[in-house]
Amino acid sequence: MADAHDTHESEVVLPEPDKGELWGMMGLFDTPADLYHAAEELRDAGYKGLDAMTPFPVHGLERALGLKPTPLPFLVLGGGAAGLASGIALTWYVNYDYALNISGKVPFSWHIYIPVYFELTVLLSALTCFFATWALCKLPTFFHPTMRHKSFPRTTDDGFFLTVDATDPKYDSASTRKLLEKLGAKEVEEVHS
Amino acid sequence: MSAAKKPPKGDGLLPKELVESWSKIGYGLGALGVAAFAAGMLGADQARFGAAYLVGFMFTTTIAVGALFFVVIQHLTKAGWSVAPRRIMEWLSQGLIASAVLFVPLVVMAPKIWHHWMGEHAAHDQVLVQKQGYLNQPFFYARAIVFLVVWALLATWFYKLSREQDSTGDRKLSDKLQVAAAPSIAALGLTISFAGFDWVMSLDPHWYSTIFGVYIFAGCLLSSHAMLALCIVRLRKDNIGGNLLTVEHQHDVGKFLFGFVVFWAYIGFSQFMLIFYANIPEETVWYLHRWNHGWHVVSMGLFLLHFIAPFLMLLSRTAKRDPRLLAAGAGLLLFMHWVDLYWLVMPNFDEHFHFQWVDIAGLLAPVGVTAAWLSKRVLADPVYPLKDPYIPEALKAENL
Amino acid sequence: MATSAPVTPGDTPGTRAKLVLGQPTFKTVNEDIASIVESKPTPKYLLGLMFAASILLVMVGSLVKLVYSGVGVWGLDNTVFWAWDITGFVFWIGIGHAGTLISAILFLFRQKWRTSINRAAEAMTIFAVMAAGIYPAFHVGRVWLLYWVFPVPNQMSMWPNFKSPLLWDVFAVSTYATVSILFWYLGLVPDLATIRDRAKTKLRYLIYGILSLGWRGSHRGWLSYEKAYLILAGLSTPLVLSVHTVVSFDFATSVVPGWHTTIFPPYFVAGAIFSGFAMVITLMIVARKVLGLEHMITIRHLENMSKIILATGSMVGYAYAIEFFIAWYGAVEYERYAFLNRMFGPYWWAYWSMVSCNVIFPQLFWFKKVRTSIPALFAISIVVNIGMWFERFVIIVTSLHRDYIPSSWTYFTPSIWDISLFVGTFGLFLTMFLLFCKFLPVIAASEVKGVMPQADPHGDDHHGKDEEAHAHG
Repeated sequence: MADAHDTHESEVVLPEPDKGELWGMMGLFDTPADLYHAAEELRDAGYKGLDAMTPFPVHGLERALGLKPTPLPFLVLGGGAAGLASGIALTWYVNYDYALNISGKVPFSWHIYIPVYFELTVLLSALTCFFATWALCKLPTFFHPTMRHKSFPRTTDDGFFLTVDATDPKYDSASTRKLLEKLGAKEVEEVHS
Repeated sequence: MSAAKKPPKGDGLLPKELVESWSKIGYGLGALGVAAFAAGMLGADQARFGAAYLVGFMFTTTIAVGALFFVVIQHLTKAGWSVAPRRIMEWLSQGLIASAVLFVPLVVMAPKIWHHWMGEHAAHDQVLVQKQGYLNQPFFYARAIVFLVVWALLATWFYKLSREQDSTGDRKLSDKLQVAAAPSIAALGLTISFAGFDWVMSLDPHWYSTIFGVYIFAGCLLSSHAMLALCIVRLRKDNIGGNLLTVEHQHDVGKFLFGFVVFWAYIGFSQFMLIFYANIPEETVWYLHRWNHGWHVVSMGLFLLHFIAPFLMLLSRTAKRDPRLLAAGAGLLLFMHWVDLYWLVMPNFDEHFHFQWVDIAGLLAPVGVTAAWLSKRVLADPVYPLKDPYIPEALKAENL
Repeated sequence: MATSAPVTPGDTPGTRAKLVLGQPTFKTVNEDIASIVESKPTPKYLLGLMFAASILLVMVGSLVKLVYSGVGVWGLDNTVFWAWDITGFVFWIGIGHAGTLISAILFLFRQKWRTSINRAAEAMTIFAVMAAGIYPAFHVGRVWLLYWVFPVPNQMSMWPNFKSPLLWDVFAVSTYATVSILFWYLGLVPDLATIRDRAKTKLRYLIYGILSLGWRGSHRGWLSYEKAYLILAGLSTPLVLSVHTVVSFDFATSVVPGWHTTIFPPYFVAGAIFSGFAMVITLMIVARKVLGLEHMITIRHLENMSKIILATGSMVGYAYAIEFFIAWYGAVEYERYAFLNRMFGPYWWAYWSMVSCNVIFPQLFWFKKVRTSIPALFAISIVVNIGMWFERFVIIVTSLHRDYIPSSWTYFTPSIWDISLFVGTFGLFLTMFLLFCKFLPVIAASEVKGVMPQADPHGDDHHGKDEEAHAHG
């Protein structure tokens, strides 16, 4: 356990910045409250490409960043419907293909297939939910431009980053940096892919 | 955003005009109920009215028991969010005092209602003779008195202490309520199960199902939450309760309502599936009665309108937060709860499904009397627990 | 077993007890959790692992014998055709349910205290399901033909019997295992990213970098992630109920007296949660001590769990009582006999062990002194686990051993291989759990941080600009 302290002196080195395409700007805050406040200011200044990187989901931050709600529930609903349909199709088909007469029940006794329908609905909903989440997060990936920031490891520890996409029409290296620094951001840096 | 919220100002009382108009409705319903009762008692088919009255009595009583259960479990789990809607449930639970009185007509009509085992022929029934240790009149009434007294006392006591806290704000009262909650839950669980066995299951005294008590209990939870949702929507319409009774609490109640729709269906399905699958004649006959001579319409109606429709109506987050959609779902469920009880009781009296106006009279009598009693008992009291220590937490309640 | 943890201030009306004791910062939370993964295993740990692995070997040996000689090595006969095997299956599946309950149901109820224990409880679920799966998989006899349980056409052009509860079990248990793993992994990703970001060797960076899928805590990501967590919790809740419901159908759809009773589904679910929480308490008492996590897994966590044990134990007691009452009330001779036989027949010792372990001993949890005493908690949690094993044994064996024809009546005695396989599954469970404790973050760091007071962006009375606006939530 002794070696666990100076953890940020990582020996792991990502490839040298090769000044590839500009991804955007990152500014570091120490508390969620500062980040929240700054996000609100930037949103009200008209920025559209805002995001944050935090060690845990900061409550209500999506409002301060002006983010749209996730479409995930609709995808899951679709997955669930597919699961239910596949359950009905499966139980119907196997009883049509080779009907088993068991304890006098009619071949397609849907009442007693309900457990199967339920399980398949849940299974497909959950699989959709799991994989759609990563797709919506644009994961998996091994590398991301933000990882070049020297304090990136703090995002999963105690650092709160506010990021601005370079594709934001209001993005401007000088003025965005100035605004971020005015709001108390530290280590403001542009990162490249 | 939560830290800025302050509890609503004022004494938390309902506006005068509302109290007046609601009292009018309550007493009006009461008068109607008494009239319906008189008409039913004087009508031609007294057994039918007795059965209809039992359905109505179970309807008001299950709502009140569910409400009491809600109150007790909130204390048991030291819940914060539920302080906002708790008073409404405390109000609804006061219906149990009316139920204690409303049971008297059932005693009068008992030989006609539970005639299958109270009648003379029971002494010659091979099966019923073996059950006489339980299904006999003195013990039946003694049990009923125990159930009704326990419920009335618990409802009164939990409300009394909550009202006391309104004026004193004493935290020790919360402690007291929390300590009493655990044994009260146990008492409620047992009494409602056996009430279900006694009053409903024994209508068909040969039939038995171990899950039946849980089924009745699921109905209690569902109907009381449906009633609560309707009350919240109505109160929020006039912004009563201000920022204490917010859309978040409405949403939470909607979630519980949704959950109990599923729970009811789960219990109902478990009972049906096991009996259907095992196919033992003395058990399946109960479902057979509910599948022939028109009753299958009611059975399928329960499946579609007590489960599928409300499930789809309440599934989305939007529906739980939209007052109209939530009220529609809750209203449907409340109606279907009555249908559910009707479906449990009536096939024992009529092989064929025939709706009669006396069925409505049987519902109106207990509903009217309970409404009048509640108007007198609760409308002058504050709509939320004024000084509950958990109010700051209830103000913060927010759904993901 | 005295604990060095500071006394936890309990809840008083209106104020909540602190979830993490001491003066934690986000950094110390990381430190406490990640250092377990990063440090070298201690000799004690290795010793424990070797012990667990050696029991696992007992399981492997029992399975080899079972496959080599056939199911006949067990103590089964034509009358008692199901005994320790299905008892072990239901026992382990039940244990798993508490993990899902903690991670999903308590989440839906916004019970923030769950954050310190949910990760380990979810892991427990997965390992318990693995242990449970051993039984049906090997009970089929020719385990290499196990794929026949799935609806795949085989050379006989037949399909599985969809009218059999055992087939529903296949669907229920495999769905449960899949969804539990997905849910667990979803929760792990942010913490795996933490370990990646702390990594000091290339290998560790590579492994945890791949496992964490490149997670960087972007809020656009968190938005979907939190929704996904909520949805998976919402799906797992009915799922966990359905699994034990289907398990109860294995018995209750039959016409065997003592098995066919309609209360089985909710009663089995309550019993499963009951036994699972007991197992969580047992494991957590050991884990918090060994891993030095007493300030995160506090007495309060254990006390809360003991209350759930009391509640579910009472539900189980209710079910025993109702079953017994209705067996009499139903006035069916055979049902009445089945229940009297349970109490006073040849298996009276199993019945009374069950009642005392499951109904009587947990009543001690009415007393706060018992709920907050580590030795008492530890002892009762083990008693409950024993009781729940007996419950399944009583249901299964006492109902079967009196067959319809008295000439078929028998008395089941387990063979050595019944016992060794059951003991061996504990080896599997413990080995997996120990490996998990070492290589994965045992507490959900990102969730613990989220419930700390400093995580609230408005904690300092700073008000958001859009005070009452509910953009979409």
